[in-house]
Amino acid sequence: MTTGDLTTSEVENFPIWEVFTQKKENDVHVHAGSLSSPDASFAQLFAREHYGQDQVCISLWVGPRELFTSDEGENEIYEVFVQWSAGLKHEHVGEVEAGNGKEAKDICKEHFVGEKTFFSIWAIQNSKLTKVDGATDMIWRATTDQTYRLASGYSRKVRQKWDALRASNAVDKYQEEDLKETY
Amino acid sequence: MSASANVEVDINDCEVADPEKLAVFEAHVAAGGLVEPNDWMPEAYRTLMLRMAEHHANSEIVGALPEGEWITRAPSLLRKLALTAKVQDEVGHGQMLYEVAQDLGKTRNAMLRDLITGVTKYHNCFNYPCPTWADICMIAWLIDGAAILNQGTLAHGSFGPYIRTMRRINMEEAFHFKHGEDMVLTLMSGTDKQKQMAQEAFDRWWGPSIAFFGPNDRPDERERPAMKWRMKTATNDELRQKFVNRFAPAAMATGLVINVCEKGEDGYVTSATPDPLLKLDEETGNWGFTQPDWDEFFRVIRGNGPCNKERLALRRFSYEQGEWVRRAILNGSTSTPNNN
Repeated sequence: MTTGDLTTSEVENFPIWEVFTQKKENDVHVHAGSLSSPDASFAQLFAREHYGQDQVCISLWVGPRELFTSDEGENEIYEVFVQWSAGLKHEHVGEVEAGNGKEAKDICKEHFVGEKTFFSIWAIQNSKLTKVDGATDMIWRATTDQTYRLASGYSRKVRQKWDALRASNAVDKYQEEDLKETY
Repeated sequence: MSASANVEVDINDCEVADPEKLAVFEAHVAAGGLVEPNDWMPEAYRTLMLRMAEHHANSEIVGALPEGEWITRAPSLLRKLALTAKVQDEVGHGQMLYEVAQDLGKTRNAMLRDLITGVTKYHNCFNYPCPTWADICMIAWLIDGAAILNQGTLAHGSFGPYIRTMRRINMEEAFHFKHGEDMVLTLMSGTDKQKQMAQEAFDRWWGPSIAFFGPNDRPDERERPAMKWRMKTATNDELRQKFVNRFAPAAMATGLVINVCEKGEDGYVTSATPDPLLKLDEETGNWGFTQPDWDEFFRVIRGNGPCNKERLALRRFSYEQGEWVRRAILNGSTSTPNNN
């Protein structure tokens, strides 16, 4: 491989995966983003690394992008997600049993959307989703103190330093004026 | 890091849009509507959005390089941990932004090739050297501070995938900035030597920070595609003034002096004099300030800066050295179970 030819071209063709995370119990899974990966096992590895690390989440789902919008499929359980308006993230609304992707989206519309306005629906066969459960399989960094990498970890220290600086400036100014008076 | 206004596209070069569809699109966007990947969009919008995302992604990746140099030289374990986390965040931001750009139609390979060969650009400030630890402190405080100001306005843009990415990035940027503030306050509350190191680093970074927002506004800025189509929602000069209004008083409160500096070709300061324009206009609430040296800015961004070649050489080196990892991912398998 010469430096002019910069890549393994197969990497170019990695499929795209969508990642969903659940922050805490009773939250729904919400779309976190996408990533490129050759297969499901790397996809969930990359998803943990990238979407599971800094924001604590207790569960992570990953699935191939093309399957979420596909009309095809088998007769089984589908997880369905709704993007209520442009700009928002897809959210998990529930499960439906359907014969294919299109039917799953139609049932979702009927049961979970009804008369409400929505922007887009995704549906994927439950068997095609890779699910990572934080309870049995640690999602990285959920268990150690992460405040060193959060703004909240520095707010109080910064406030204290500003107060100390201003106080010492005030003292300097006071001493300066004190000296002026004396002399 | 965020995109500057320097990504221009001549809309006459792009495929002429269907005038009816274009009118509907422009009305939708002007009214605050959002655009998702499967919506119709003018070719010029797609191109401009792609270039913005690509420039932004490039900046995140290259921005991590000077910081990476200091991980092994951080003065304490806490600083080492925080700097490592910052670099990790930035590379992650780059990955997310490359995904957005990929989805707009340019391959990852082409983007990395164009970055390494100097075809596409990144934020100019990363072409300057970081000779001391205080440079890292100033970058985190000033440059990440500038990025937050800019990205806050970008998060009100029109393109769904990009604004969702902005929201995620801004959370992490807040940590970078707060930690930067902590580091600068530590130095300015410290020994004379620390204060001197901080002042010298501030002299190196104040200019690049106010230049961060891009060149001065053109008179028709708001009619140009980037603002008309709500990819940018504030002009460069507006953001620059906001930045000075916030950071000039803060810098002075720590005891730093805001100097107008001249730099040599090596990126080091050759002269520094207090900025004569730095006064608060009581009526407008705006601080006067001396504009960045735009001649120097353009000279550096065109490739003749102190660290341009070094940064790109390191990126190329990392890419080539990483070949075996890509091969392993391609050909190997992991032992982690998957349920496919």
